[in-house]
Amino acid sequence: MKVAYYPGCVAQESGRELDMATRKVAPLLGLELVDFPNFSCCGSGFVDEANLTLNTAINARNLAIAERAGLSTIMTVCSTCQGMLQLTRKRLEPDSPLKERVQKALAQIGMSYQGQARPKHLLQIVVEDLGGAEALRSRVRRPLTGLKVGAFYGCHLLRPHDEMEFDDPEDPHAFEDVIRALGAEPVDYRGRVLCCGFPIQFVKPRTAERIAGQQIQDAKRHGAEAMSTPCPLCHISLDTYQKEAGRAVGEDLQMPILHFPQLVGLALGLDPVSLGLDRHLVSTRSLWSRLGPIGVPR
Amino acid sequence: MPQVPFEIYRGDDRQFRFQTYLLDVPEDTPILTALLRIRDEIDPTLTLRYSCRQAICGSCAMRVNGKSRLACLTMVGPEFRRRGKLRVEPMANQPVLRDLVVDQDPFWQRYRAIRPYLIPDPARPMPVGQVNPMTPAQVDQFRETPRCIACASCYSACPAVAADPAFLGPMALAKLYRFVVDPRDGAYRERLAQVQNQSLWLCLRCNLCVEACPKDVRPAERIVDLKWMANQEIGAREEGSRHALAFMTNIREGGLLNETKLVRQTLGIWGLLSQIPKGLAMMRRGRSLSRHPPITDREQLDVLYRELDGPEDLQHRLRPPGRGVKGDAPSPSTPGNPPPPGGSS
Repeated sequence: MKVAYYPGCVAQESGRELDMATRKVAPLLGLELVDFPNFSCCGSGFVDEANLTLNTAINARNLAIAERAGLSTIMTVCSTCQGMLQLTRKRLEPDSPLKERVQKALAQIGMSYQGQARPKHLLQIVVEDLGGAEALRSRVRRPLTGLKVGAFYGCHLLRPHDEMEFDDPEDPHAFEDVIRALGAEPVDYRGRVLCCGFPIQFVKPRTAERIAGQQIQDAKRHGAEAMSTPCPLCHISLDTYQKEAGRAVGEDLQMPILHFPQLVGLALGLDPVSLGLDRHLVSTRSLWSRLGPIGVPR
Repeated sequence: MPQVPFEIYRGDDRQFRFQTYLLDVPEDTPILTALLRIRDEIDPTLTLRYSCRQAICGSCAMRVNGKSRLACLTMVGPEFRRRGKLRVEPMANQPVLRDLVVDQDPFWQRYRAIRPYLIPDPARPMPVGQVNPMTPAQVDQFRETPRCIACASCYSACPAVAADPAFLGPMALAKLYRFVVDPRDGAYRERLAQVQNQSLWLCLRCNLCVEACPKDVRPAERIVDLKWMANQEIGAREEGSRHALAFMTNIREGGLLNETKLVRQTLGIWGLLSQIPKGLAMMRRGRSLSRHPPITDREQLDVLYRELDGPEDLQHRLRPPGRGVKGDAPSPSTPGNPPPPGGSS
């Protein structure tokens, strides 16, 4: 399956391991990634607060770039990028009051938005387009047997449901299905669909850190030995700021946080360093030693 | 349908337990009806609050399998199929008085704080004894906010309310929006100034309130509108609005974000310095914040900004009308869903 690859800002800057892991995992899943050096930032929802029309146009341009190349899927690896691009699609449905202004602005740069390219997160592509959990299971070379993993979805992948059109917005199962397919055991906890605190990290850090701390604590209390997220912004809250989050809830959390493609990559037999697992602030080494031998796919 | 286990919260904040009742119910039974049957047929001590039984009064909000919902509007079937049981708890973020009844004072206090009534401009007194008409376009600007029945489902679902007492909560802010856009109200600036420096920017944009609201009021979206109006009217005076504006300039300059610059523009130079230890810890792991080159065709963004970075009309922020009220629509967790994740919760 050939897709326009939209890495987003974090995967190209401080969270480059997400990009590394995605590029390693993609061919093993049967994905061909097409790069577009002209993709811009999605605005992360913040630009809506300053100018919603402009934010819609910025993302309509991103969608139009993939569309012009004849690609029907634009693959994201960030719940927030996914949310913003999909929201843009919804905002530009035929009877939208925004559409005319946005099209006019796009025409100035010789582009137009037709709604032909659909944004989809890698997780969504795995469960909806690549044969789902069963097909994934057949590609596993090193099942993560016995590993208890807490999925952490990231709000914008799920909500609002009428716009995101993916899974159950408050009680999803796609990520858990994938975790099971990888041979690991998903952990059921309420925090998996809650916020990581990132949006207010710079507004009120202590509150943001307490929120992150509570979610990690919740996962831990339900037996998680690692957490995994499809959103690099959640990764910042849960990994980069985990020390502060732990302080906010009065516990040394020590919870390895894996990007979604890193978790998949481990089960597909990839080396932890090649997936950038040595780049996290919270050590992931407790998992490396538990990896079994690499076998032949089923 | 087999017997449905209802695991119901019994007690109060000091002491509680979950009590299980088994009930034979058709799957299209509202949860409220099932609870009343439990009370009438099995346990008369079960305490709950309800009135109209038809999603008008807003009395029977509670948590069903973790979701904040009106018990009269939520059916047994989908939740039972998904989770194999119904765990019924009182609303969150409010003290529990007994069983499923909470003390709603914190919710109403926040509602009171936004002054939910018209404050006329003294220079433009309301006409006495005659109607004060509004145009259909003005009424449209209320969006879905007049539908609110103050059930507090959104307040119960909100993680920002749980995390920070300074946050007014989705319902109060959606109501605030309703008065801010009312052309008969004279306290536009005052109302925005009241929230600009405290409550407004604590919204996490998690959209749980959007899912919880039985009337499709979409509080999170109205909060984004309030932020936009506050920025226009009051200016960017604190971190939240500065962050939003920093995103705007950042994207224009390079196409992608420059994380270091974003932090400096949001927190100021002293704030940036406070992040140095974190930056060093990241660099030790090879996570450099070095700036990537601008995207190709970056100048296209200049054109979009020139075209659209003017004053925005609230009307343009409105999305197509006609989205129905929730409740009748099939739940996303209806038939065919696989079993719940993990083992027991």
